[in-house]
Amino acid sequence: MAEAADADAVAVSEPLDLVRLSLDEIVFVKLRGDRELQGRLHAYDSHCNLVLGDVEETIYVVEEDDEEEETVKTLKKQSEMLFVRGDSVVLISPQAAS
Amino acid sequence: MSFFGFDPGPKNRGHPSQGLGFGTAPDPFASISQKREIGQDDDDESIDFDDTYDGLGDQLEEADDDFNDDTFGGGESATKPVGKDFDFYGSTSQVSNAINEEAIQHNRQQPASKITAAPSSPPKQASKPFKTGYEAYKNPSYIPELQVDASLWGTGPPKPSNDYGAQQSQQGGYGAGPSQQRSSVGAPSKKMMSLEEVEAAMRAQPKKPSPIPAPQQQPQAPSPFGMLQMQQQAPMITRAPQQQDPIPYSHAMPQQNIQGQQVVPPPDFSSGQIRIQQRPAQQPSHHKHRSSQIMQAELPTQASPTPQTAAPPQILQRGQNMPHQASEAHVSPQPRQILQNPNRHSGQLAPRPNEPPVPVQMQQRGPLPGQNGPQGPMQIIHHPSMIMNLPEEERNLYLEAEAKRAKRNHKILLLSKGNGLMTPQDKNFITRIQLQQLMTATGNVNEPDPDASLSEDFYYQVYNQIENRPRQNPQQPLSNFAQTYLFRTGGRQGGIGRRYRGGDSHMQRMEQQVQRAVEAAKAKPKNKQLVIEGSLGKISFSNAKTPKPLLNIKRHDSTDLGNRQSKKPQAALSTTDRKAILKNIEAVYSTLMKMEDHDRRQRPPPTAESDPLAIQYAIDWEQTFRDLNQKLWTDLKVTEPIMEESAILHPFITFLSYPKGKKAMPRIFNHIDENQRLTILTMVIVNLDVLDVIRLAQSQPQSPHSPSIAHEQIDLFLQAVIPSLFSYVTEAPLNIVIGMLGLVIERVNLNVVARTRVGLEILTMILSRAAIIKALDAPEDDIWDQWLTVYDRFFDMVEPFLGDIFFTSVNAGQDQYVWQFLAASGSGANPEQQQRLVLAVKDRVMETLQQSKTLPPEMASQRRGNVNLFMQAIGLDVDLLDG
Repeated sequence: MAEAADADAVAVSEPLDLVRLSLDEIVFVKLRGDRELQGRLHAYDSHCNLVLGDVEETIYVVEEDDEEEETVKTLKKQSEMLFVRGDSVVLISPQAAS
Repeated sequence: MSFFGFDPGPKNRGHPSQGLGFGTAPDPFASISQKREIGQDDDDESIDFDDTYDGLGDQLEEADDDFNDDTFGGGESATKPVGKDFDFYGSTSQVSNAINEEAIQHNRQQPASKITAAPSSPPKQASKPFKTGYEAYKNPSYIPELQVDASLWGTGPPKPSNDYGAQQSQQGGYGAGPSQQRSSVGAPSKKMMSLEEVEAAMRAQPKKPSPIPAPQQQPQAPSPFGMLQMQQQAPMITRAPQQQDPIPYSHAMPQQNIQGQQVVPPPDFSSGQIRIQQRPAQQPSHHKHRSSQIMQAELPTQASPTPQTAAPPQILQRGQNMPHQASEAHVSPQPRQILQNPNRHSGQLAPRPNEPPVPVQMQQRGPLPGQNGPQGPMQIIHHPSMIMNLPEEERNLYLEAEAKRAKRNHKILLLSKGNGLMTPQDKNFITRIQLQQLMTATGNVNEPDPDASLSEDFYYQVYNQIENRPRQNPQQPLSNFAQTYLFRTGGRQGGIGRRYRGGDSHMQRMEQQVQRAVEAAKAKPKNKQLVIEGSLGKISFSNAKTPKPLLNIKRHDSTDLGNRQSKKPQAALSTTDRKAILKNIEAVYSTLMKMEDHDRRQRPPPTAESDPLAIQYAIDWEQTFRDLNQKLWTDLKVTEPIMEESAILHPFITFLSYPKGKKAMPRIFNHIDENQRLTILTMVIVNLDVLDVIRLAQSQPQSPHSPSIAHEQIDLFLQAVIPSLFSYVTEAPLNIVIGMLGLVIERVNLNVVARTRVGLEILTMILSRAAIIKALDAPEDDIWDQWLTVYDRFFDMVEPFLGDIFFTSVNAGQDQYVWQFLAASGSGANPEQQQRLVLAVKDRVMETLQQSKTLPPEMASQRRGNVNLFMQAIGLDVDLLDG
C-alpha cells in the first residue's frame, strides 16, 4: 500500500511532472533567439513560465565581418533572479550543460 | 470462365434445359431429383435402386483385408466386452451442423431443377421465343419483370406490343397523314406475298427513271425536339394499320421479321423533325424532293453514286443529318443502322423477348414509298410492277442493288441471331463478373495457374467454400463466411426473396461497382510508395502479393550490441537513481504539504463534554495524520536496509544530498514523532562520513576558499539539518547520547569526520549534550560511567587528528566551531585528557592569540572569545596565557 501511495504521489503523468523533479535544481534552459539559461529552477507553471535563480544567460550573436565571414560571439549575463516567459522556452534540461 | 456453372462451350449452346442454375455444383442426386420432377405425373413410378446404383460395389476387392484388425483395432475390441455407453445422440449432435448445412445446400439445388424442368413440359411455355440468360431467371415468377417498362420510354402507359410495332413502322413512313398515304398507294395488295411472288412482281415492274439527286436539306430542329414531335404523333398513327393498304415489300420482309424492330430505320427520328420544317414552309416542290430523298433511303433502288458522308457524325447526329443519309448510296446506311440500333433499342428490345415477330409490321411498312407516288414526278419504285417500267439498265442496277441488300440483310440476320438472348439483368451480371475480375487486380491472363487469378475473387471463394470443398470430416464446420452465404443470413432480405428484386437493384449495384472500381483505380497509385510533397516520410502501399512491412528490424553488429550493453547499465543506474531520488523528494514534499494542510484543519482537542461529531472529527483527523505520517516515513526511505560496503548510498543519505532534501528536514521533523527523529539522527550519524557535506568538504582540505557549491551545501546543511537534529539531541537522554557516540566510534571514519565542519558540529552536539546532562541532571553513576568509557575511546581515537582539525588557516578566522568542539571535548574530559588536549592544540591557541593582537579590537575580541571558550572548558583562561 505504501509503495502504491508512493507511486501515486509522484506519478509522472505529464511532461511537466518531469520538470517538477528539477525544482530547486540547476537546469539548462534553451530559449528562442539563440539564448540559453542556466540556473536554479525555483518555480514553473503549465505555460513553462519559469523562475530561475542565479542565472547565467548566454546569448549567441552571429556577426559578419568585412570578408563576410560569419563569426559567432557569445555574450554572457548574470542575473540573481529571472522570470522567463514560457513562450520563448525551447527546452528544459535537468542536467546542466557543462 | 466456367466456374459459375456456365459452360460457354459449343455443346451447351443455349442453355441445357435441365442444367443446374447459377452457382450450383454438379449434384450427385440430381438425376434422382430430376426423375422425381419428371415423374410427378405418374406417381406410381418410384425410385428404383437399379437406376441409381452405379455398380461400384461389385468391383470391390474383398481380398487383402488380413490387417484390418491391426488398422482398426478390431482384434483387441473383439476380446473386450462390448461397451454399453452408446452415446448416439452425442455423436450425432456433433455433426448436426453439417447435416443442416448439407440439407440447405441440397434444397437450394432442388428448386433450381424444378424450375428448369417445369418449362419444358407445358407446351405453351415452350413457345417462348428466346431463352433468357441464366437459369436463375427461368423462375416463372420472374417473367413479368421482363415486360416493357413504360418508364424506359417515358411514353406513358404501356401499350400492346403490336401497337408499338405499328407505331414504329408508321413513324418510319414519316407519319404523314393517313389519307395522303392511302392515296399514294399504287397497287394495293391485301395478302402477304411469298418471296417468289414478290420477285416475280418485281421483274414484271416496268423500269422507271432514276431519281434526281435532291438538294440537301439543312434541318434546323434539334433532335430532341424531333423526338418530342414523334411522341406527339404516336396516338394519331395508331390508326394507321386499318387505313393503310399495305404493299408487301417482299425482299425486306424476312430480314425484318427476324430483326424485329432493330431494323426500323432512323427516319423515325427524322420524321418529326421534317414535319416541323415542312409545315411552316408549305412548299410542295420542296416536299416532293425531300420525300423522294427519303424514299431513296428506304429503298435500295438508288443507283446513283453519291459521296458518302462520314459515318460517325451521322451516328451521333442521327436526327439532324438524316437527309444526308437519304442522298447516299444505300450501301452505307444499312450497316449503320445496325450500329445505331443496339444503342437505341437495347433497353427496349430486351424486355420483350416473347413478343412474336409480326409480319404485319412489314405490311404496314410497305406503304411508305407509296405516299409520294402520285405527287412526285420522279418514278420512285413503290410497287414491284414499277420495276418493269424502268429502262433495262436501271432495272439491272436496281436488281443488283437489291441483291446486295438482300445479302447484307442476311448477314445482319446471322449476326443478330443472338439478339435479345440476354436480358439487361444478364448483361449486368456479366458486367459485374467482368468488373469483379478487373477489381481482383491480378490482371495477368497468362498466368500459368488458372486458379491464381481467382484466388482474390470473393465470389469464387465463397462458391468454392460452399460447393467444391469436400469436408474432411463431418465435424469440420464450414467457414464463417461460407455459412453466411449458404444460409443467406448476411443479407437484408433473406431467402429466395432476393431473386424478386427488380433490375433496378442490379443496375444500382453495377453502378456502385463501377464507381468503386473507378475510385479504387484513382486511389491506387501506380508506385508502391507515395511521397507527398513537403512531407517527411513515404507512404507505402500494400497488396496481397507484396504486403507492406509493418516491422523493419535490422540486426546490429554484435560488437555494436556489446558496446551498447556494456555502456548502458552504468548510465541507466545513475540516471534512474537520480530520478528515483528526485521522485522521492517530490513525494516527500507532496506529503509534507498535505500534512501541513492537515495541521491547519486540526481543531482543539475535544473534551468530555464535546458532542460526538467533534470527537469523531478528532478521531478521523488523528487517523489521517497517522496515514500521512506513515506515507511520509515511507517516502523518506529512512528505514531502507543499510548495505555496508555498498557503492550505492543509502536513499536517505542521497535524499539529504539534495538541497531541497536538506531544506525539507525542518518541516519533516515537525511532523514525525520522537522515534522517527531518533531513527533519522541515527541514520545521519551512521552515515556521517559519507554525507555529501562531509565528502565535499573533504575533497578540498586546507582550501581557504572552498568551491561555492560545496560551501552552499554545507551552509545549507548547517542551517537546515543541524538545528533539527540539535533540537532533538538537546532533549535526548544520556543513554541515547552514549549510543550516538558509540555509533560514531564504531561506524564512522573519524579521521574524515573530524576534519569537516559538519562532522565537528555533530560531535560537538553530542559531547555538549553529555556535558549538559552531567551538569543539570546529575545522572546515575552507572550510566555516567558508561559514557566515560565511550568518551575515553572516542578521545583516544580523535586525539591523533587534533592537530589537523584546524583545516583552515589561522587568518581565515573561521574556526569558531573547532573551538566549540574542543571546548565540548575538554568539558567532558578528565584532567589527563585535558592535558593531552592542550598539548595538541597549544600551537593553534598561541597563533590565534598572536594574530588577534594584530586585528582590530572587534575581531580580536571575537577570536579571543573563541579560544577562551576552549580554555574555560578545561578550567583555564586566555588571560592566563597572556600573563
